[in-house]
Amino acid sequence: MFLIFALITLIGALAMFRQRNLIAAGLCLVLSFIGVSGLFLLLSNPVAAALQIIVYSGAIVVLVLFVIMLLNAHEEEPMEKRRLIQRWSGAGVVAILGAGAFWVVASSKALHPTNVNPTINPTTLGQLGTHLFRQHVVAFEAIGLLLLASMVAAVALVKRDL
Amino acid sequence: MDSLAQLLHLTPATLWMIVKVLLVFGGPFTIASLLTWVERRGSAMIQDRIGPNRAALFGKWRLLGLPQIVADGIKAFLKEDLVPPHAVGILFWLAPLFAFVPAVLGFAVIPFGQSFTIGNTQYHMSLLDPGNGMGMLYPMAIGAVAIYGVLTAAWSSNNKWSILGGMRVSAQMISYELAMSLAVVAIFMRTGNAGPPTFLEAYDPHRIVAAQAGLWNVIPQFLGFVVFSTCMFAETNRLPFDFAEGESEIVAGYLTEFGSMKFALMYLSEYVHIVTAAALIVTLYLGGWQIPFVADPGALLSVAAFLAKLLIVCWVFIWVRWTLPRFRYDQLMALGWKVMLPLALGNLMLHAWWMHRAAM
Repeated sequence: MFLIFALITLIGALAMFRQRNLIAAGLCLVLSFIGVSGLFLLLSNPVAAALQIIVYSGAIVVLVLFVIMLLNAHEEEPMEKRRLIQRWSGAGVVAILGAGAFWVVASSKALHPTNVNPTINPTTLGQLGTHLFRQHVVAFEAIGLLLLASMVAAVALVKRDL
Repeated sequence: MDSLAQLLHLTPATLWMIVKVLLVFGGPFTIASLLTWVERRGSAMIQDRIGPNRAALFGKWRLLGLPQIVADGIKAFLKEDLVPPHAVGILFWLAPLFAFVPAVLGFAVIPFGQSFTIGNTQYHMSLLDPGNGMGMLYPMAIGAVAIYGVLTAAWSSNNKWSILGGMRVSAQMISYELAMSLAVVAIFMRTGNAGPPTFLEAYDPHRIVAAQAGLWNVIPQFLGFVVFSTCMFAETNRLPFDFAEGESEIVAGYLTEFGSMKFALMYLSEYVHIVTAAALIVTLYLGGWQIPFVADPGALLSVAAFLAKLLIVCWVFIWVRWTLPRFRYDQLMALGWKVMLPLALGNLMLHAWWMHRAAM
């Protein structure tokens, strides 16, 4: 099962990069998100799986696709001229970064089983809410403020004459 | 049930699972195909016409036009499957599937009857047993994905009207999903507060139905009921919100380029959506399978009660379609953001305040 969902996720992500067509790329992204939510289900966390689908596939990608349709980008992007130097240097940088990330993850303490027994495990909505509003309330409010500020900024940028 | 399971060399649990799968897939389909007939006859009744009455079984029995369903099905199968040359190949083929699969999946968590016990085993009347952890989040997630059927259909048709329809519907569904979710959150709050503590989460539909034993949610949450039903009309793209099709403005919207069985699939999935939406309204607000003044209706009677409520709500969907005119697009957006969202927020605040008062 893990292999199936992991393959769905990876194939969706790869297909998204290979697509020249924006809308089809968005649909591939949704496929990848569905794979991720399947992985959450395998980790026996149905709430995270449902939220993944509601928030990401249901709201964010739909908004992105809507904007793409609104901007009328129906034509496929034309192939650009091949820039070999940029391409290989980009691949090299990605390889170095990937290796670094892998090294950091592999050597981190998080991989070893900890002795701390988690008192709250957020696999239901109630526990998730308790967790968010008890332990992480400051971060939660800060994110709220940040989002509000970005929304105000977006409105101010678009509507010059309020 | 045990003897039947033994006859089929299955455990009773497996047999019940198979029966449930058949019920949950077959039931909404049957109701949906009947609804196409009800819609045509009902609209004729409302508009003082006769409606389809020519199709007849073996040329003899007209049965109030019921054979029309069969005739339409055969017609859709036998028609030429036309793919316009400018359509985006694979997406054009996948679009009916994207519309159809979420419509079918949505019904899985809805409890359509009272759980019953035979021997030592308890059998639950919903495809996903209570305590699965998804609860009401599941139909909301499915409803959020359902939009891709319309979007893919609109975009792959590569047609201005289709794309207009798709754009309208994506904006509309996103706007109304907010108010809908807020209305449902108020129900979770009430359910979590009411009744004896159980192992079920407050957003489990079984618990929501059980909590409505004394009083259906529609009475304390009337505001939420109004908001949720309106949003359900918008989510299923029914009049007065059917901007995805809007036949007087954009031909048939996202359906313009679809013919034969592809069209039939998309059309049928619209009706399955209506059945699911009606089932959600019944489960959340109209007491699910509960019957007033009957504490323990039993398995069969509770299914009958659920079915009766479901059919009444479905009829309301059709009734509204043929009596209300379509909104203008700006009116739709104004209604969604300036009326429905504040109402849903107010409803939430009101219930939070009530619960706070009661707890003090």
